[in-house]
Parts: sequence; C-alpha cells; structure tokens
Amino acid sequence: MSISLAKAIKLQNDKTWALDYKATPAANLLAVASTDRKIKILNIQPQGTRLSDVLDSTVHHKAVRSVAWRPNTDVNTATLAAGSFDSTVSIWTKELGMEEEEEEDNSEMDLLAIIEGHENEVKCVAWSNDGMLLATCSRDKSVWIWETDEMGEEYECVSVLQEHSQDVKHVVWHPSQPLLASASYDDTIRVWREYDDDWECAAVLTGHEGTVWASDFETPAEQGADTTDIRLCSASDDKTVRVWKYVEDDDENDGQQVWVCQTVLPQVHSRQVYSVAWSRDSGMIASTGSDGTLAVYRESERGSGDWSVVARHELCHGVYEINMVKWINVGGREMLATGGDDGSVNLWNIDL
Amino acid sequence: MSEYLNENPDVLEVDQLPSRKEDEQEQLFESFGSQEALRRKKLLMKIDNSPSSQVIRNVELLDKLLLLNNVPDLTSDESSLQSEGEYSSEDGDEAAGHSSMSEYDAEPADPVDVQEIYDLTAHICDPEHPLTLGQLSIVNLPDIEVHDDGNPAHLAEVVIRITPTITHCSLATLIGLGIRVRLERSLPPRFRITILLKKGTHNSEAQVNKQLNDKERVAAACENEQLLGVVSKMLQTCK
Repeated sequence: MSISLAKAIKLQNDKTWALDYKATPAANLLAVASTDRKIKILNIQPQGTRLSDVLDSTVHHKAVRSVAWRPNTDVNTATLAAGSFDSTVSIWTKELGMEEEEEEDNSEMDLLAIIEGHENEVKCVAWSNDGMLLATCSRDKSVWIWETDEMGEEYECVSVLQEHSQDVKHVVWHPSQPLLASASYDDTIRVWREYDDDWECAAVLTGHEGTVWASDFETPAEQGADTTDIRLCSASDDKTVRVWKYVEDDDENDGQQVWVCQTVLPQVHSRQVYSVAWSRDSGMIASTGSDGTLAVYRESERGSGDWSVVARHELCHGVYEINMVKWINVGGREMLATGGDDGSVNLWNIDL
Repeated sequence: MSEYLNENPDVLEVDQLPSRKEDEQEQLFESFGSQEALRRKKLLMKIDNSPSSQVIRNVELLDKLLLLNNVPDLTSDESSLQSEGEYSSEDGDEAAGHSSMSEYDAEPADPVDVQEIYDLTAHICDPEHPLTLGQLSIVNLPDIEVHDDGNPAHLAEVVIRITPTITHCSLATLIGLGIRVRLERSLPPRFRITILLKKGTHNSEAQVNKQLNDKERVAAACENEQLLGVVSKMLQTCK
C-alpha cells in the first residue's frame, strides 16, 4: 500500500489549522480554517477541485482554529460551525443547488449566528451525529455543550464541563451514541455521557505522557451492532498514537466506565502528533504531525488490537508541520486530506 | 535556594560575549560574494596578470550584479520544466517543496551553527533589565544544540536551554517566547525549535517548558497585541 499526492492546493500564506469534509449530492465540500481568519470552502470532485467560497473574514478577528460541518440535516442545506482564537464560534449556512448539474454554484454562505461564552481561545468545535448538539472547547479548560434547533439559529448552553485541569484541545462525538471525548493539555482524555438532562464525566483515560491533541471514535461496523463495542484513538505530544477500548461500567464505582489502552500503535512519528483520524469506510487509522509524516495503520482483524503501519509518506507539506488529517470519500474513493503550516491543503490517494 | 545554579548572575560586558573568530578568508568572501568568484578571479589573474584587465573588470561587474539580485538556481531548464509540468500552476508553491531538492544539490550546503543561533538570541533584551540575554547569561553558547545538514528540503532542529536569572521568575515564559519569536522569524521553515529551561534553574520547569513548546499556545500568544508589544520591545536593540 502506498500514499501518493493527488492534488496540492495552496490556499494562503498562513497556517492551515483545520479542515472538515461533507459529501452531498450537489457538492463535496471541504471547509478550511486558517490563521488569516478566512474560512475557505472547496468543492472536491473526481474531475477537479474548485474554490467555491471564501467566507467574510471580518467576522473573526483572530485565527480560525476549527471548522465542522453539521451532519444529518436537510440535504439541501450546508451548515458550518467555526471556532476562533477570538473566543467566539460562528455558524454559517447556505442552500445547496437542487440539481446536480447546476451550471455554476455561486451561492455564498451566510452568517447565521455567533456564539459567545468561552473566556478565551476556542480550540475545537464538533457536532453530534444528529446535528442537534454542538460541543466547543477552549483554553479556559471547559467544554460547553450547546443545543440547537432544526434551522441551527438558536443555541442554548445545556452543560459546561469543567473537570479538565488545563486547556481542552479537541472534542469529538461518537458516531452513533451520546458520548463525547475531549482531549487536553493535562495529558488526559475524558469521556462524557448524558446523565439526567446533564452531562457527566464517564471516564478519564490516562497514559499519554504529553498533551493529547486529538482523538477519534471508531465507527461501529453496522447499525444496531453491539453498543458496548466502543473504541477511540488518540494522538499526543508524546509522539504516540494509542487505541483505547471501553470494557464495562463499574457498578462499584458509581457506574464509571472502565477503559483500557488496548494498543500503542507502532511508532512512526519523531515529534508531536497533532491529528488522528479513524476511517468510517475502511477502519484504517491515519496520523500526522510536526514531523510532516503521514502514516496509515491497519488492524489485522477488526477488534484484534493488532495494528501495523501499511503506508507512510514523509515531508507531506515540504518541511512544514501538518496540523490536520481527515479521511474523505470522493465519488466512492477513499482519500486523505491534510492541512499544513505552509497554507496548503493536500489530497492523497491511498493506492492498494 | 543555593541548590540553583543561577542565583547571582554575573553581568558580562558586550565584548566578553562569545563571537565568531574573525576569519580572514571569510572577509575575502564577503567582498567577492562567494568562494567561486574568488577562485575565478585568482584564475584570471594567473592568465592575464593585470588587475586592470578588461576581462577581470567584466567578471567583477557581473559578480556585483549577481550579488544585487538573487543568484539564479543552478538547475537545468529541463528539470525545472519537469517539476512545473507535474503540478498545475495553482500548485506552484507546493511543487517548490519537491523541486528544491534538485535545486540545492548544486549548491554547497550552508548549515546553521550554534554561534548563529547565539547571535540571534543573545542580543534580545531582558524584559526587566536594560541588558541582553547574553549579558545576563540567560542564553549561553554551550546550552545551544543545532542539528542541521544545511539542506533546505530536510528537517533541522534547534534546542536551546535557557537559565532564568531568578528561580521563581514569572518572566521565564516571556523570555522563552521572545526567543521563539526571534528564531521563528529568522530561521528557515525546516527548523523545529525546542526551548527548555536548564535543569534545576526554575521551580516550575515542566510547566514553563510545556507552554513554550505548545505551538497552539504560542500562535495564540502571537495574536495577543499586548503580549506582542512586550515581545517586540525585547527584540529591539538594548539600550
């Protein structure tokens, strides 16, 4: 297996902090967040990539650190959340063309809402799978959970989780269950679950020996699969990528969830690992970070915990650091997208 | 408190700071631009033993012109065409990362050394005193490590261990940030910079180290006008 560059897209002269991808019948949208305060939207098609929109750069007055497309809403609407170092979160929306072969999709995204609440830099935003909850986290050590309406116009804070002792770097929802994972500068990951109209910490995953920069849940094999089969992968300053596995609820300890570190993936990175992504389609894990290397890992058999590195590619953004990796599916083909300090988004083919 | 190394720092005079030995050859290079030009001139002198020779004057003029403009890269047209062809025009910048390999093969590698890092950081002004980090021995030549092969397409690393003047110095973080900003602005992007407090010099070593090497925190700090103002002052010449 090998990784080869499909397309390099230079978007700005500042750091590309984050990207998120949403495939719809009308367009495959890749949102890109940058230090230059501009959010750019690309339309990625097998036959070519086009810059479809640049959002109003006066909305945020500091770097945009995170972007997330709202899932499972009306197929004709695309809604995006963006978190910024200016401590606010912005919500954007646009109608997508009804017909697939529309001549030129020129509609721009409109600002729908600004969410305030965090004391300082917002580091990450994430939508729950049903699109009704938005989680945000910040250097102020808190995770906020916001409930919204169908339109995504109103946001009510339903919970403020303040148990991390340091910056919260990243939040991610489980793809089908009401579970949220938050990764922190305090070297831990916390798993949160809904409890009595509020959210509570269900587990603290300790083991990383440095900031945990990101985590991602495994997508269950099929709908209605065993709901206790839950795994999470994580990326850290300690140069490792780990896979964690839920074991059971400990009835003697207030029903706290018991998690174990199932595997430390074979070491690839020589510096901080900033991003990790668990593929919904193939079940493979991809990681990247400060050393500019992109690595893909595969498990010998699903659930076995026996992982090997099946592909790696060095200096994926020249000599620059890479901040984010994401699996994307373009016309049925699984690819990787990366964003780096060189201000580029690169698309990668995974050749079997 | 005597367990700390740096309780009463001696202040060094500017001319006591370590500097590169004056190198006669190097001065020659400066006036000629490069070793290549020097060699060429020597060769011409042998052939036509008169400094006023038209050929030598023409070559000197050419060298001066080349110094004014960036020296073109010594790649064949063929290879640069090839690298352009691989990517569409909008991808040009990315292609640079790849083509630079061949571009620089032709040039002698010019690695950054510890003295260069020292010179970049030792003249930063202390946020409290009208003295430089070098004079206060906060930055010391033996506490700088550089791993660089000079190839712009390879990663390189700088590790600096700093010695704050007071053990509980809350300004240690600020000094570290100043050093990081100076190095990030001056060094090519291939460098990964690690700034650490020297072991046993500070009572919250781990905390400060973590903060100074967290790229997200550093990036956010660099968008903080007030903080950036203080850092900019440090980076100006000490008075």
